[in-house]
Amino acid sequence: MLSNYSDKSKKPRLFKYRNAKSAFAMMAPAVLLLLIFAYIPLAMAIVRSFQNYTTGEFVWFENYDYIVKTPSFTKAFGNVILFTAIIVVAQMVLSFFFAHVLKAINAKVANAVKILLYVPCLISGVVASIIFMFILNYGGGLITSILIGLDIDPIAFATEGYWPIACVIVPTWWLGFGYNTLVMYAGLLNVPKSYYEAAQIDGAGFFKQMIYVTIPYMKNIFILSLINLITGSLQMLDIPYMITGGGPLDMTMTPSLYLFNSFRDVNRPQNVTIAGSILIMIVIVTINIIAFKCIHSEKMED
Amino acid sequence: MKRSIANKTKKKIKKAILIAIAVLVALIVFFPIIWIIPAAFKGKSELFSVPNTFFPQNFTWQNFEKVFSADINGTTFLQSIFITLAVAVLSVIGSLFVNMLCAYALARIEFPFKKFLWPLLLFPMFIPGITIMLTSIRVVNMLNMVDTIFVLFVPGMANAYQIFFFRQFYLNIPRNIEEAAEIDGCSNIGIFFKIYVPLSVTPMVINGVGIFMGAWNSFIWPTLTVMENAGLTQIMQIIRMLNVSYAGDYGVVIAATLISLIVPMVLYAIFQKRIVEGIALTGTK
Repeated sequence: MLSNYSDKSKKPRLFKYRNAKSAFAMMAPAVLLLLIFAYIPLAMAIVRSFQNYTTGEFVWFENYDYIVKTPSFTKAFGNVILFTAIIVVAQMVLSFFFAHVLKAINAKVANAVKILLYVPCLISGVVASIIFMFILNYGGGLITSILIGLDIDPIAFATEGYWPIACVIVPTWWLGFGYNTLVMYAGLLNVPKSYYEAAQIDGAGFFKQMIYVTIPYMKNIFILSLINLITGSLQMLDIPYMITGGGPLDMTMTPSLYLFNSFRDVNRPQNVTIAGSILIMIVIVTINIIAFKCIHSEKMED
Repeated sequence: MKRSIANKTKKKIKKAILIAIAVLVALIVFFPIIWIIPAAFKGKSELFSVPNTFFPQNFTWQNFEKVFSADINGTTFLQSIFITLAVAVLSVIGSLFVNMLCAYALARIEFPFKKFLWPLLLFPMFIPGITIMLTSIRVVNMLNMVDTIFVLFVPGMANAYQIFFFRQFYLNIPRNIEEAAEIDGCSNIGIFFKIYVPLSVTPMVINGVGIFMGAWNSFIWPTLTVMENAGLTQIMQIIRMLNVSYAGDYGVVIAATLISLIVPMVLYAIFQKRIVEGIALTGTK
């Protein structure tokens, strides 16, 4: 890709780079903006994560040591593993099956359904939280109304038992379902028909075809969705902030919400919080590198 | 013969069931939005009554009147709609301009250190907002941007993901398109505006809508950076403020939420086809 020009013929360097000046001019705004609003803040964050908050003295990994021993923060990481597991099952499996349904029905109905499904993806976490809190309202929301109609005691979803987890996950699922389904659907359409025909000749049924044809063919899409879901849960912030505030007892605390709360709490040492946020970045970068390697190595094999 | 007819009806029934499932799922997913529409027209006493009805018994515009007349921490709902729209439009224009130019240069012009610069431009994609949140505030503070409109759209303008997206798009455009223009003595910048911009309407719409929605829905960043200047309060902040101060008169919050959905819905109605196509494009490649 990068060497389109040099492939054709061995042109002298000067000629190859004859437009370099205009390239630099065109890239300057983006480069400057990224430098000022991404790299400088990142460099500052890294430096501060190694410093003592009050004295400014370099303490190296002390802040990191402190944050990984903070129970709320480690609990938040544990929560992410749980949330991701639930969301991966709920989101990927449901989207995958629903994409099959969409593929099987006629195109006009499928199109209308697709358009409706995507609507929640345009909605913000704040608005989604308000809609769900309204429906789940303990005092007299829709669900309470139905439960009373069925002679069941109303449930305080945001505080009772394990319901808070559902309170955070359902809106998150709702916001992402349309997008994931459409991606899966597009992926399904990309699987060559001849593969299925060959499988049918071999006598494979629907599920065998799915396991031996569809899933291997769509592996990259699964990997990408998986990274999106994991990084999404690591950065989940506004929905738990609005609905449960991370409680009760940190049950719905996410790392980003913990850090967000810490940043606004003067009593917590800020540099420790920054160290925690650097850890989140390291996790995200690592996951992406692994996924990228998975996708890449497979392409090499082809 | 008989068997094939039986098979056909079986297939038809199967299809009908699948269509029913699809429609049902779409309705379930859409239901929460439908549910708040009539609720916005319910009075205080009716909103949380048990049993709850879908349609209001006593239809009232009261909630909407309150939304528009209320003074919300020194600003009004209408003012915040206008300022949020302004920020969103500025974000779209600024972002597309900056990122498309950069992507074009990366895709089409040879220059030294390209291999070195490309990953550096891409990396910010993986920096979580929370990691640089505090130090970004420090930076905008030093630039005297806090409590001005600039803080709401300038820091997010350059976007690694968009640069990646447009670069990919430009790499797929055949090169011979520009050769004629090059021979005519057009500069790179001229080629970009005359040839590439008109070709990139679809990615511009897909990204533009995304940027617009990002600005319209942004909540955390404005909460941290425009605290003193009430005139710049963004729509999501207003909704959150109402959610706190009108907890006892929740119809007002619901009405405000409903109004805040109008802009995205209109935008979606206009560009819906391109957006849905765009997901197939971005999600699978």
